[in-house]
Amino acid sequence: MEEETLRETAEMGFVIEAEAAAAMMTELGVASAPELLATLVPAAQRLARPTISNFPVGAVGLGTSGRIYIGVNVEFPGLPLHHSIHAEQFLITNAAVHGEAGIRCIAVSSAPCGHCRQFLQELRGAAEIQILVTSDGPGSAFRSLSSFLPRPFGPPDLLHKDHPLLLEPHYNKIALLDGDEEAEAAAGGGGGGGTCNGIGGGVEARLRVEAEGAARAAHAPYSKCPAGFAVADGRGRVYAGSYEESAAYNPSLGPVQAAVVAYMAAGGGGAGKGFEFVAAALVEAEGAVVSHEATARIFLAAVAPRAHLKVYRFRSSADPA
Amino acid sequence: MPRSNFSPSSCLEMKEKAARSTAEIAFVIEAEAAAAMMKEWGVAVAPELLVALVPAALRLARPPISNFHVGAVGLGTSGRIYVGVNMEFPGLPLHHSIHAEQFLVTNAAVHGETGIRCIAVSSAPCGHCRQFLQELRGAAEMQILVTSDGPGSAFLPLSSFLPRPFGPPDLLHKDHPLLLEPHDNKIALLDDEEETEAAGCGGICNGIGGALQERLRAAAAGAARASHAPYSKCPAGFAVADSEGRVYAGSYEESAAYNPSLGPVQAAMVAYVAAGGGGGRAGEGYGFVAAALVEPEGVAVSHEATARVFLSVVAPRAHLKVYRFHSSAAA
Repeated sequence: MEEETLRETAEMGFVIEAEAAAAMMTELGVASAPELLATLVPAAQRLARPTISNFPVGAVGLGTSGRIYIGVNVEFPGLPLHHSIHAEQFLITNAAVHGEAGIRCIAVSSAPCGHCRQFLQELRGAAEIQILVTSDGPGSAFRSLSSFLPRPFGPPDLLHKDHPLLLEPHYNKIALLDGDEEAEAAAGGGGGGGTCNGIGGGVEARLRVEAEGAARAAHAPYSKCPAGFAVADGRGRVYAGSYEESAAYNPSLGPVQAAVVAYMAAGGGGAGKGFEFVAAALVEAEGAVVSHEATARIFLAAVAPRAHLKVYRFRSSADPA
Repeated sequence: MPRSNFSPSSCLEMKEKAARSTAEIAFVIEAEAAAAMMKEWGVAVAPELLVALVPAALRLARPPISNFHVGAVGLGTSGRIYVGVNMEFPGLPLHHSIHAEQFLVTNAAVHGETGIRCIAVSSAPCGHCRQFLQELRGAAEMQILVTSDGPGSAFLPLSSFLPRPFGPPDLLHKDHPLLLEPHDNKIALLDDEEETEAAGCGGICNGIGGALQERLRAAAAGAARASHAPYSKCPAGFAVADSEGRVYAGSYEESAAYNPSLGPVQAAMVAYVAAGGGGGRAGEGYGFVAAALVEPEGVAVSHEATARVFLSVVAPRAHLKVYRFHSSAAA
């Protein structure tokens, strides 16, 4: 079965539609979708970008929609390690970008670290999420997340039980300020006027709209500072991701990282390629207790120095449903 | 380490005594002082004393974003007791936050402690901290008691909080020094170290004379030598000076899981607060006048830009100098 899997999944993308998953199952003689997840882990690992550790992690998750999502770890040389994206976080963010409502089980190549076991607490029904660690070998089995993180600290400690959790719909009130602050990343931006860095007004407007939409969907109930980030590649395609907060604060996934996931999950930045962003947009609250702008600039300076960043602010309002 | 269960009445009595006597506990309690406290309160063993001190530790926390105080009290193998509190920094992304358990371990590191055997903490450690604690030798057997569990609370091993952990054994040789064990990274500052001036001034900046600058540099270099950074092999140290010319330094502390790593700036903040430094409560900044960062040149993990962002929010008048060294394999 492994050889067949290797052939089938040589060109696997980051999202496998339910029908394609069913076809794979039939062909591989796999009885249930959770079993399929484990067979896909090696292929997922090959998509990882652990450029500092060279320790690839692949995670494959089944959504309540029946879709399968891939997650991989991504590291960024030159930046502090808190910029790193873990495979489990990638998987969840990938699911969020595709409008998935829930993740029921995950097969992953190595034991999730405490940071990820904590991050996963943001999902509804976290305790019952089934996790299988393929490095456990042929005897590996799915076990509940609660067995990986007993007595967790999480959303119930800080939020009302009806508050939307990660992957559930959020409708943050985002009204961009009229005199939105334009923050030019490149020195030549000042007199840029209509076109900067070859970026026409069309792409800029789309970046802004996408980042705003991502901010509306952001899960940030602890700081009450939702944010969204969008990037454009050299072909005018735009990818956006939402800030995803953790009750434990530090495991939160920044909006820039979320946008990188959206980019990679859509096929961007394949093996050997860098992150070829030419422009970006950040939407965040004015005077926010959690502000991402400076950190976003540090990230872009290291990862995509030619990307032109514009920042749009909105007046923050009380945490909505 | 025997499990201890506390009866409601003895626990309450102890807490009342603790509330009276420890209104202003320090962040480090020497072994003799701890022994005296134990006698006074009729506490039989040091781990029980930790529990009694948690409420006082809670009061020292500085969480202006969440207002969710966390206090942790830990017993070092030296017999000293260390306090840890959570710290949050409005205006910055949440990854700048310091958790109470991280504060405790860093506090211990600053004071040359070689191991932490048990910790009493006001609420269940989060996964980030359960992961961070894996960097200590014997992590699985470290005893943790969560006081919010109430009178029936008991010490349980860290392995029960994070079963099947990912940690140093997955990435390092078993003899590699772990967090709190001696490190002796080779730090040879470059002759023409890059001076990065926050303001364009020459010999004296911000009232900071050459002598203070030299002390900052030496302190940051010492912290870099002691830094636990075996994954990136980029040890680093950070030092800050207050307006009275006192210098506090902390070492970068890496986690096998990367993201839970504690930055050198945060480590210096712990050194400062643990020494009694003020500031950081709602609306307040920190009155640092100068800082120094020592990190390797051109490597996988650089802290400079992040340190500048931190200072710009927390201590905007602090003048930062960065000193680089040729990176070599960490000792």
